[in-house]
Order: sequence, then C-alpha cells, then structure tokens
Amino acid sequence: MIRSLIRQLRRLDWIMVVAMILLLGIGIAFVYSAGYREADPAGSRLCQKQMIWAGIGLLGFLVFALIDYHRWTHRSWWLYGLGLVLLALVFVPHIGLKVYGARRWLQVAGLRVIQPAEFMKLAAVIALARLFGRPGRNPRRWRYVIAGLLMVLLPMVLLIKQPDLGSALIFLPVLAAVMFVAGVPLRTLGLLAGLGSVLVILLLGAITLPPRLGWAETRTASWLKVIGITPYQRERILVFFDRDRDPLGAGWNKAQSQMAVGSGRLTGKGYLRGTQNSLGFLPRTVAPNDFIFSVIAEEKGWSGALTVLALFGVLLGRGLRTALVARDKTGRLLVTGIITMLFAHVFVNIAMTIGLLPITGIPLPLISYGGSFLLGTLSALGMVQSVYIRGDWV
Amino acid sequence: MSSIYLSEQEVWRIRLVMGVMAAALVLLVLALADMQILRGHRYQTSLEEQSVRRIRIPATRGQLVDRHGICLADNRPDYGIAVYLEELRPARRQRLTAPMAWQAVQQVAAAIQCPPQVTPAQIEAHLYHRKALPLLAWRHVDQRVLARLAEAGTQLPAVDIVVDSVRLYPLGPVAAHVLGYVGSAEPEEDEGPGYDYSLPDLVGKSGLERRFEQQLQGQSGGRLLRVDVSGFMHDEIGFREPVPGDDLMLTLDVDIQRVAEQVLADTVGAVVVLDPRNGEVLAMASSPGYDPNILSPAISVADWSRLALDSRKPLLNRAVNGLYAPGSIFKPLVALAALEQGRADARTVIECPGYFEIGGQKFSCFMGEVHGRLTVQEALEVSCNVFFYQFGVQCGLDPIYQLALAMGLGQPTGIEMDAEAAGLLPGKIWKRRVRGEAWRDGDTCNLAVGQGALMVTPLQMAVMTATIANGGYLYRPQLIRGMRTPGATEFQRLPPALVRRFHWAPAHLALVKAGLRDVVQSPRGTGHLACLPDVVMAGKTGTAEYGPKGSGFKHGWMILFAPFDQPRYAVAMVLDEAVTGGSSVGPRVGRLMGEVLALNRVGESG
Repeated sequence: MIRSLIRQLRRLDWIMVVAMILLLGIGIAFVYSAGYREADPAGSRLCQKQMIWAGIGLLGFLVFALIDYHRWTHRSWWLYGLGLVLLALVFVPHIGLKVYGARRWLQVAGLRVIQPAEFMKLAAVIALARLFGRPGRNPRRWRYVIAGLLMVLLPMVLLIKQPDLGSALIFLPVLAAVMFVAGVPLRTLGLLAGLGSVLVILLLGAITLPPRLGWAETRTASWLKVIGITPYQRERILVFFDRDRDPLGAGWNKAQSQMAVGSGRLTGKGYLRGTQNSLGFLPRTVAPNDFIFSVIAEEKGWSGALTVLALFGVLLGRGLRTALVARDKTGRLLVTGIITMLFAHVFVNIAMTIGLLPITGIPLPLISYGGSFLLGTLSALGMVQSVYIRGDWV
Repeated sequence: MSSIYLSEQEVWRIRLVMGVMAAALVLLVLALADMQILRGHRYQTSLEEQSVRRIRIPATRGQLVDRHGICLADNRPDYGIAVYLEELRPARRQRLTAPMAWQAVQQVAAAIQCPPQVTPAQIEAHLYHRKALPLLAWRHVDQRVLARLAEAGTQLPAVDIVVDSVRLYPLGPVAAHVLGYVGSAEPEEDEGPGYDYSLPDLVGKSGLERRFEQQLQGQSGGRLLRVDVSGFMHDEIGFREPVPGDDLMLTLDVDIQRVAEQVLADTVGAVVVLDPRNGEVLAMASSPGYDPNILSPAISVADWSRLALDSRKPLLNRAVNGLYAPGSIFKPLVALAALEQGRADARTVIECPGYFEIGGQKFSCFMGEVHGRLTVQEALEVSCNVFFYQFGVQCGLDPIYQLALAMGLGQPTGIEMDAEAAGLLPGKIWKRRVRGEAWRDGDTCNLAVGQGALMVTPLQMAVMTATIANGGYLYRPQLIRGMRTPGATEFQRLPPALVRRFHWAPAHLALVKAGLRDVVQSPRGTGHLACLPDVVMAGKTGTAEYGPKGSGFKHGWMILFAPFDQPRYAVAMVLDEAVTGGSSVGPRVGRLMGEVLALNRVGESG
C-alpha cells in the first residue's frame, strides 16, 4: 500500500508541482503586501488565512492526485447535480450570503463556508469530460453538442443571477476547448461561435443603445431587467468602451490598477513599497484578490510580471502535455477542460488588470486571496496529476 | 504514445490549444512591456499627480542693519497651534468629517483656555482645499497659552506648536520710510509653478524691503508629501531646506537718523544727511512717519485708514518722492555756472536797487530788501535775488541748464529706492513742448533764483551740496553699504559709485564755498541761526513760494555742509510750511549738526 503510494508520488509531474508551489508562495507574499499597512495587523491576518488555505489546498491536491480520476468521472452526474443544487441554494435566505451586493456564498451558522461557483466549475468540467469522453460517443452527432451546451448554460444562468458574470463567462472557453479536442467538427464549432457572437452583439446593443435613443432612465432600467443585466454590470461594460467615463465610480479601479501596473516600470518599486495599494487608491477590498496582479506588477515591475506569467506558462504547458499522455479520452478532455479553465482565469484577470478587458471580478489562480477558489484550483490541479500519474508515458 | 488512445487529429487539436494559450500569454507580456517600459513614465506622472503634493516653504527673510550693525529689520517667531487632521481619523475609516475636527478643536480650546480662531466653515474649507496640511487653529498665541498646551500634553488629540516668522522692526518708526514694510504676498503673485500649496509668504511692499525683495527673500524650500486616497498626509517623501535671504547693511547711522527724525518731529518735511566723501546716506528722514510694525504681517483697517487718509501723507517718503521748488539754495549752482563761463569773477560787482526789470516785468528782491553793491560772495551771503537775476540774464540759460543737468536735476539720483521722483529741470525744449512758448529772459531770471517750473527732491539737493562740498565729485547716493550671504560672517562691501567728476576752477569753487560759509558764519548771513560755536560750517537757505501767486505758502530750505575744511556731512532739509528758510529751517539744521558732531566726538573718544 505504502509502496504503491510512493510509486505514485514518484510519477507526479514535478516540474508542474514546482511551478505551482512557486506561484502559491508568490501569492502568499503578495497577499501580505496587499493587506499590509503600517501598524495594522489586518494584512498579516489575511496572509495567515491564505497560508492555512494553501495547506488545506495542497492536501486536497495530493488526495485528488492519488485518487483515480475515473472515480469522479463515473459519478459525474451526481457531482453536476450537487453543484447545481448548491448554486441554487445561494438564493435561499439565511443560507445564501450577500456580500458587496452579490449572492456568492453559502453560510452555516453565520460563517462563510463555500462559494458554490468554484465547485460548479469543476463539476461541469468533469461532466463535460464524461459526456464526450465515453468510448463510442461520436462527437459529430448534434445530440452531444447540444447536451454539452445545455450542461454549461444551466449553471451560467444561475451564476449570472448571483450576479457573477465573470465566472459565468469562464464556462464558454472551457466548453469550446473540450468540444474542440473531443473532435466536434470545425463547422459545428464555427456555427456555435457565430451564434454566440450575434447574441453578444445584441446584448451590447441592448446595453449601449437606450441612452443614444434618448430613453428615460426608468425605461432603460426596466429594459435592462428584461434582458437580465444589472445597472452595475452595464456600467462596468460601458466603462470598458469609454475610458473617461466616470473615473471616480466604476472606472476608478481600472484607472488605479493601470496606474499601479504602469508605474512599476521595469523593476518595480520594491516589495511592500507599492503606493497605490498602501495609500488606498487601489481599494483594499479588491487589492488582495481581483487586483493582486497589479500589486505584483507595481512592486516588482515588468520583470516580476514576466516571472509570474512564465510560471503560469510552465504550469499550463505541462498541463496540456498531460492531455497528450492521458490513458483515455476522458482523462484527456478532463485535463483540457481544467487547464483551459485555469488559463481563462489567468488571461481574463491579468487582461482586466491592465485594461485590456472589462473589470469582471475574476481572481488569479493560486495567487489571489480566497479559500474556496484556492481549494478549487488545487483540487483541479490534483486531478490533472491524477491523469498524469496514470498516464501512458514511460 | 500509442495510437490506440490518441488520434492524429487529437494531437494537433491539443497542440493548437497549447499554441493559442502561448500566444495569449505572449500578448499579455507584450502589453505589459508597453505599459510598464514604454509608457511607464506616463503612468508614473499621473500617479504622482494624484498622490504627491508639493508644499512651498518660505525662507527666512534677510535682516537689515545699520552701518554699525544695529538691527533695523528682523524676524520674530510667531507661535500658532495646529491640529493634525490625518491623525484624528478613526483607524479603519478613511474619511474625516468637519464636525469631528471641530470637536477636536474645541477640546484643545478648553485645555488651553483660549477660544478657537477658526470657524466650522473654515474647517470645512480647509478639509476641502488644503487637506494635506495641518489646520492652523490658533495664531499669535502667547507663552501662557503655550504653557497650558504643554501641561495638557498627551491627553490632547494630534496638536502641535507651529512657528511662523513675522517681520519685526526693533526700532519702531526709525527710518521707516527707508526700510519700507512687508505684507502677505498676494496669492497670484506668489503661487509658483508646480506647488500645490504655498505657505503664506512675506513680500516687501515699499522701501528697501521692496527694492531688495530678491536678495532678502532667499530661496524657498519645499516639502513633498504623499497623500492617501482621501487626501490626508501619509508621509513626507522629500524636504528641501529653505535658504535664508541675504542680510543688508545700510549706510544709515541709527544715531544720526534718530537725531534727524527728532529735529523734524513736530513738523512736516524731510532731511537727508550724506557723507560727501562717498555718497553714503547717513540719515534720511521724512515727517510725519509711522511705525512699520503695525503693517506687518497685516495692518488693521483702523490703522490703515488713519495712515492713508492723513492729509500730511505719513506714508510718503518726502526725501525722495517729495517735489519742491528749491528757491535760493539753487543759487550756488547758478554762481558756479556763471563763474565757470567766465562772465564774472571775485571782483564782479552788481548793484541791487531792490528790484530788477526785464521785458517790462519787474522782479523784486526778497522781502523788498535793497542790498546795494554786492560781490558774488556777498550776494550768496545775503541771498540777493536781484544780483542773481542779473547774473542769470548775463550768463544766459545754457550754462545754468548744463550744470544743473550734469548735477542730476530732472533725473532720479539712482538711489536704491523704487519710484524715486525725477523732479523737473525746465529748459527751452521743455517750455516749447509743454507750454508752447519760447524761453524768455524772465524764465532765466526765475530759474536763477530757483523758482519757476524747477522742481527738485531733498535728496537731489543733498547730492548737489555734497558735490560742492567735496570739490566736484558727484557720487550716486547710496543706501546699501554691504551684503551678507547666509552663513557668511562678514558683509561684502559695495564700493561708492562716482557718477561724474566736475573740473571747476579752484578759485571759482573757493569763491562759492566762501559765500556759503558766510551764509552761516557771518552775523548778517541768512543761515546764521544754524551757526554752531566750535565748528565752521557752510550752507545756503532757501524759501520757495508755492501755490497761487501771493497765497503766502512757502517751503523753507536749508542745505549745509560741515566741517567747512574737510566736509564729512552734507545736509539738505526742507519744511513743507515755513516763514523763511533761514528762520524756520536754520535752527533745526543747526541743532541737527550740533548733535551729529557731538555724536562724532563721543564716537572718536570712545
């Protein structure tokens, strides 16, 4: 038993593990920096919590690495169903917890316990891998494509309701990558992409047109309610298209984050020396989580940002290599889905930090402060290792 | 890898996904390089704009001291109590409301038993405009209040004593017109580029304080403060020490200045005492005067209206800005001009019948006197108008005009004072241009006795006196003797400035000087009331009518230099209202010189 454990551990992808642990370390260091205020213990408290979560997460990583991933894929429908139930529970009073105007948490006896979205992302990826990965499933058949689409749309709708548009959108690249690798014909994918684009354009039109048409505020508001967009989300999307719109409101974080990143220059201002964060221009509610990358880029400059991106490059590259050595198609698709999900987080988070994408509230994997998300990410990486350990390589 | 598990298609599709991700990461790296390396400085600038505040700190103003180092203008500390708003904030909350600051101010007020000097509205304005700076809640507090503050000590919220600098004139009204005064700088004059906040600064408003603003002011220092998102000070990231201004040593001698002011104290007029050997101004007084301390740092409305509405114009420095007809004190210059032209000599005699007729106009001698036959020397002694009418007509306008012009009349002397009056030296061109008439002999007669359109300042007359006294060396009158840069112990002396050297024949000069000596020394001389027992002096009195003809308003003048053989003092004094120069001004000039020479003896023996 123990000998088999050791044999399995020796088959871990250690390059990937090292990259992962380095990123975790960077995360802990900069969560400390982001919360750091002179003579204020709040920063170190945040950092301690993050370290505890990292420990729990690493344990989870090992457990998921050692357990055969087929155990999860065989129960994918149960997991998926559980995810949906949890996601629905956030709307139940006294169980769902409202923080900053969004219902993202489940609480037990007043304590925040879990963000069901993190669980749902993983459950959906497992379910998708199972859907397309079972032997004999022909990816050319429309029924599987439509099943996959529905499987993703259901949690997306619930997430948009929270509202958490950012997390909802993460499902789209995951679905696309899994279907692409599964062998869904390019024609089908192109058609879906086209349909999606039309929908997005219609949505944007619905958001941007009313003011140009001279609609009254109340009419615009009721119209937005019909299409399911909150005024807050609308504002964020509009800010992305108009740089100078509302620099003190929704545009504030974006402008301050860009200033932090840009002023970091080549080598940065030094650890704990970032002023954007310590002077409060980068609000302390977002600095340790959604905007952690701008803290790193300010304090360590381009070289620090490059280091982080290189580590992510190693992590993602080794991850996709696992897809190439997976023993079966289910494993291959599972790894593809997980890595795509991680990639989407990394790209969207950094892109919004530097102003390439709208501010959507997506954390940076392994680095941003947040227990559920860290646990979810490490568990997912554990699953990738599980595929790797059982993979077909000498 | 076995093909049983992995199709060719899957391999390239996975590789493509890999490629897309790699490209996306490279895109991020490039975008970051663009932001951080290529455009980093721009973000840096806007970051500093929002979080760095520059504060200008005024430098300590330079001192003014007299020729012996006695301080005439100094700075004294003015204590205030400031409240540091950023320390009043609750630890976790970023914003501070005006009522909280007001509460803190009241708490301090109770402890120091002194009502606050700010209103809640002012606190609100401070929080809005100058949040990064401490709130100055009390100004001009005395030692007792400071003691109570020290006692209350640590129980009080973030307060501190701040020291401001106030200009002080230790001798009060002494030399007030020369020194000038300072006031708070107008914001638009002062708000230098690049400063977010300027602390109030003093700026010279008149006199030497204004003329030497550049030197006295020094170089302001600055503080760079970093402010947090709510605008309060976070920390200080830079400090540049202000460089104090230069100290100026004046040519004035406080003792002589005091005597000069005492002599004028009960009247309206001006006096200038020059050192004829170098043009240094030993005393310059104008009466009535004022105490510049009431003007610094800000004058009260009552004081200002008292000074500004006074018909005797106490703010006017009559010595350089007062314009007077010189009257008879102009005669020595006329005599010199005529002698130098060769139309007359020591033996020339002119008969004074008590009047003089020219072009159908009849000019009487002063007070209707009949002097009889007079030489040049005697004519100066008794100040015979008829003699000089004739003299003037004989010699013509040009020599008189040329000498007066060379003596600097009609032009500022170049003393270190702003807006010095030039006076008016009438001539042919002037008359043609202003009056539209040709110059007539009658005009020459008027000019020859210092009347008509001729206007001079007391300083110009003192310069003329000094130039005659020293035998033809025209020095620019000088108020600054030396300058001292901060840190230096010695003043760097400024050399005297010789404007012109007159080459008068020694006999002519001696003749005029002898006449002037007789004015004072001879019992029938018009200036005999100025005579002192143990020193030989020379001078000339003058009485000039002004206002409508026959109105009886007269300025009284006297110029004088002493001792006669080796002149060390040249004086010009004018009184706005006088009976005659000899009777009204003469005794005062005598008293002035008596005390000045006595001072000198004390100085020599000590």
